[in-house]
Amino acid sequence: MRVTLSTRISAWLDQHRRSAYSSYMEMRRRPMANMMTLLVIGITLALPASLLSLLKISQTMTGDHQQSASISLFLKNGIVDEKALRVAADLELRPQINHVELLTSADAMEEFRSHSGFGDALDALDDNPLPNVLLIHLTPGNSSIDIRKLATELKEESVTDSIEYDQGWIERMQAITQAIRRAVQALGFGLGLAVMLIIGNTIRLEIMNRKEEIEVTRLVGGSDDFIRRPFLYIGLIYGLFGALIAWLLVSILLMLVSGPLGRLAELYDTSISLSAFSLHALLLLIPIGISFGLAGAWLAVSRHLSSINPE
Amino acid sequence: MIHFENVSKRFPGGHYGVSNITLNIESGALAFITGHSGAGKSTLLRLIALLERPTRGQLLIDGRNIGRLPEKEIPAHRRKIGLIFQDHRLLNDRSVFDNVALPLHVRGFPVREVGKRVRASLDKVGLLKKEKVLPITLSGGEQQRVGIARAIVSRPPILLADEPTGNLDSELSREIMDLFLAFNQLGITTLIASHDLDLIKKLDRPVINLQQGELT
Repeated sequence: MRVTLSTRISAWLDQHRRSAYSSYMEMRRRPMANMMTLLVIGITLALPASLLSLLKISQTMTGDHQQSASISLFLKNGIVDEKALRVAADLELRPQINHVELLTSADAMEEFRSHSGFGDALDALDDNPLPNVLLIHLTPGNSSIDIRKLATELKEESVTDSIEYDQGWIERMQAITQAIRRAVQALGFGLGLAVMLIIGNTIRLEIMNRKEEIEVTRLVGGSDDFIRRPFLYIGLIYGLFGALIAWLLVSILLMLVSGPLGRLAELYDTSISLSAFSLHALLLLIPIGISFGLAGAWLAVSRHLSSINPE
Repeated sequence: MIHFENVSKRFPGGHYGVSNITLNIESGALAFITGHSGAGKSTLLRLIALLERPTRGQLLIDGRNIGRLPEKEIPAHRRKIGLIFQDHRLLNDRSVFDNVALPLHVRGFPVREVGKRVRASLDKVGLLKKEKVLPITLSGGEQQRVGIARAIVSRPPILLADEPTGNLDSELSREIMDLFLAFNQLGITTLIASHDLDLIKKLDRPVINLQQGELT
């Protein structure tokens, strides 16, 4: 038989297809036991994945809010509109600042009059007590430290009477999110190890069940690669299907929280698309599931396969 | 083809499987190995297949000393050898076809080639119609023939059979031996361990007799 490169490649593909298929068939022979294992893997992966999804959602909401973060700078009395506009133009040169809006005392008065219903009372005043205000819109992506630094600098400007910004709760939120993220990552790592060990142990049992087959394969000249392959495929299949189950669970969870989350998002003036998070979870889970599956299989195979030799 | 030069196999604990064997088997020869149980017949065959490693001496196959062959090269070495066992060593959860195809799969044969060769091999042992059944449903003689089909399917240069007729009556034994003779006609170097002296006598081929691990 002439062995060309293309026949060699197709033979190699054949071997892999056969290994994958036989592993799949082997697993189908014990559907209940395998389903249980897959559920355990799925639940174990779903826990950190759903926490990460929720974190990501909360981050998106606070992140959007930070984008609209602004500082109100109340100018001292007697700063005329032209001067205020010049100050505004100067401020806009700073990198942290996106744009500056001038709310003149007249504008403010007008707004107050129309909203408050105190129109007549205001008419009784001799002059306008409201100051000129600069609404400073920040560029997105500023850290809370940057914002605080900017606020301090603004406060020291000679034209400044006082400033106001609602940064405190964003900082607290970010700190809490950060702490939770660390905890979830650690938890995820631990549970990932657990998945690896579950799969490793399942494959150890599989190896023991197929001891005779391994021996005979060695007798007819099967290489270690050849013998290892179906077990690695089993690991891969467990990881993949476990990840899909985990994703299903995460998606169900997201669906359950979508109602309340939607209302929360409305309150924050943002909108969130849960399907995006669901897709994100899927793209995260599949490679993670597959790599833990393969790692577990590799662990079992390298520990147990070499001990099986034909009598 | 197969050359033993002062080869000994000492097992842990001090017992010798074979000791100080020197013998030469030409390419294309067919020889029998006889002797009592425990005389070292199996050990001799197992050394050739590297199921055991010699503890002393040189074992040359195709001019290559396999005594110190690295572990990684053992599969490639075994692919030169067809092995047949008294207990067949078939996989009972797989069809006859799949059992016979295994040596081709480990060599990475393309699917179509596998089908052709497996059927040719089953045809030679007269089991073409049984390819779909499980080996366990076959008689002892038929199972042994499946084992032989598996051993020859990859057309190895060497065939080793350890008591291939051990469980068979004399008529079936004769049929099995005739198969070996036919394959030997094709140039396969064949070694058969057997204690069926009557049958061996009739076949008139070289006999290697072992006693307590030594040649006599």
